[in-house]
Amino acid sequence: MKALGIDVGSLTTKVVMLDGDGSPTVRITPSGDEPQSSAREALEAVLGQPELNLDHEFCVVSTGMGGKMLPFPHQNKAVTTCLARGVHHLFPSARTAIDIGAESCNVIRVSDRGRINDWVSHDKCAAGTGVFLQKMAKVMHMPLEAMANPSLPAASGPEISSTCAVFAESEVISHVHRDPPTPKEQIIAGIYASVVSRIMILCKRLGIERDVIVVGGVALNGGFVKILEREIGFEVLVPETPQMAAALGAAVIARETLAKGAGR
Amino acid sequence: MSNGSIISSVIRDTGPESVKTSQMAMAEALRGTGLALDDLRYVVATGYGRVLVPFARDNVSEISCHAKGINWYFPGVRTILDMGGQDCKAINCDGRGLVTNFIMNDKCAGGTGRFLEMIADVLNTRLEDIGDLSLSSRNAIPFNTICAVFAQSEAIAHFRKGVAKSDILAGLHEAIATRSLNLLRRVSVQPDFAITGGIAKNSGMVAKIRDKIGLEPLLCDDPQLVGALGAALFASERCAKDGAPGMTVHYGYTDGTGDYFVAIDSSRCDGCGDCVQACPAGLLVLGREDGHRPRAEVREGARKGLALLCPGFQSCSSKNEVNCHSVCSRDAISHTW
Repeated sequence: MKALGIDVGSLTTKVVMLDGDGSPTVRITPSGDEPQSSAREALEAVLGQPELNLDHEFCVVSTGMGGKMLPFPHQNKAVTTCLARGVHHLFPSARTAIDIGAESCNVIRVSDRGRINDWVSHDKCAAGTGVFLQKMAKVMHMPLEAMANPSLPAASGPEISSTCAVFAESEVISHVHRDPPTPKEQIIAGIYASVVSRIMILCKRLGIERDVIVVGGVALNGGFVKILEREIGFEVLVPETPQMAAALGAAVIARETLAKGAGR
Repeated sequence: MSNGSIISSVIRDTGPESVKTSQMAMAEALRGTGLALDDLRYVVATGYGRVLVPFARDNVSEISCHAKGINWYFPGVRTILDMGGQDCKAINCDGRGLVTNFIMNDKCAGGTGRFLEMIADVLNTRLEDIGDLSLSSRNAIPFNTICAVFAQSEAIAHFRKGVAKSDILAGLHEAIATRSLNLLRRVSVQPDFAITGGIAKNSGMVAKIRDKIGLEPLLCDDPQLVGALGAALFASERCAKDGAPGMTVHYGYTDGTGDYFVAIDSSRCDGCGDCVQACPAGLLVLGREDGHRPRAEVREGARKGLALLCPGFQSCSSKNEVNCHSVCSRDAISHTW
């Protein structure tokens, strides 16, 4: 009995399959311009089948920005619901989840059973999201993976706009071209501080409770996590594949559904 | 400006070095007019970088300058929508061009010139053409986002799917116009209504705003210059009140035997100090009034007994080849005897 979760994000589509024994198979693929076909391909790859043939042995739960568009899933759940479940599955001690994806960020208060107690989302603009960091890496003429090195950010950096990615980009450009140029370690610290500042606004609204877990693609950015920890004042938990958290949560919900015998 | 009319103007990209740009723009504006920087009686700076302009005497906020500037073109204007490169303002003003209310968005690029630049770039179209192109659309694509970054991604996605540029542009112009309308609603929208800033040159934007506001927007020839024009008008007003720059100062006295005055034209004097060195009697010094550049003046102690200390131009120059007149390259100094 296979439980599948599929998270169709703005940048990438993540599929998680939980087998009977609970070990997950994961696949991540770019959503591209045709998220429906990317999703289908990803599901087929995970199932090892050339053509999708869903019967009562499977349960598919979809989530994410593009989740509702898929014709085949059995259920569609809000991404925050899936995140709460996924995070709880990874770290049962987690009580606050900070999810930063390509084009959105969520902060969720999670109960001890992996349910949502409260949440706040931001998906109206690029500030505080992965796209912001992508843009900044380009301006810094560095691959994002290189900029993510946790040893790079300086102890402090210049103030960079935390409300607009476009203006922040101009500010970073002017730092790079200044005479003498601002040292790149400081600029990088400023860039991360800008995203952290945005996240902290959301966190302050909800109140943070430990343990705090950071998920979403941006959690892979060691430099960012370091600055976040500096600001929060304690260490945060980051799973091995943080982008999979919502898809994992969706798969957990799928498994619960199968267990209830609801099937389709 | 001179005598109430514009004699020269320049528009340049600011770039990362505002100070240099301001100097180069001024140099360009002076070229062809036969004037030098020192001939300008009063310079007022405005805009984001207004405090950085080294040769400005004062600075005034761009909101006040826009109101002043638009009033010069259209004295009936009471509402202004200014859309510049990185911000968007709605301004109410009175018949004298004084600001009565305003609201500004400068925190978010959505709805600013920057947004349109990014879209033009991504659709590989010239900024000057996007307005007209948007007007040719029959089927505008709705855009749900106000974020310039997200809109750019959406625009690319539509374009790749084969949606016509004109339709994409029409949708984006619609989204921006809606945003402008929201801004305007927070001040009062009264006729006459004007649009200033670079965006006034975008015919598509002007058309959409006209439809939403229900008023015909007044547009001037060079909408990007309105701020600078307003600053020039402030400079004219302050110059007239002032008196000091441009005034010739007379030192000396009249007695029974005649008038004994040394006159120094402070609008010509550039404070070089050559006359101070040249005067055989050491009667001249460089003085500085606060905020102005140094100017030559007759030293305090010499003024009352001037004719006793200074023999007068005729006598002095016949004995001294080097004297205050001979060294002054600006011809700022003169004697009455």
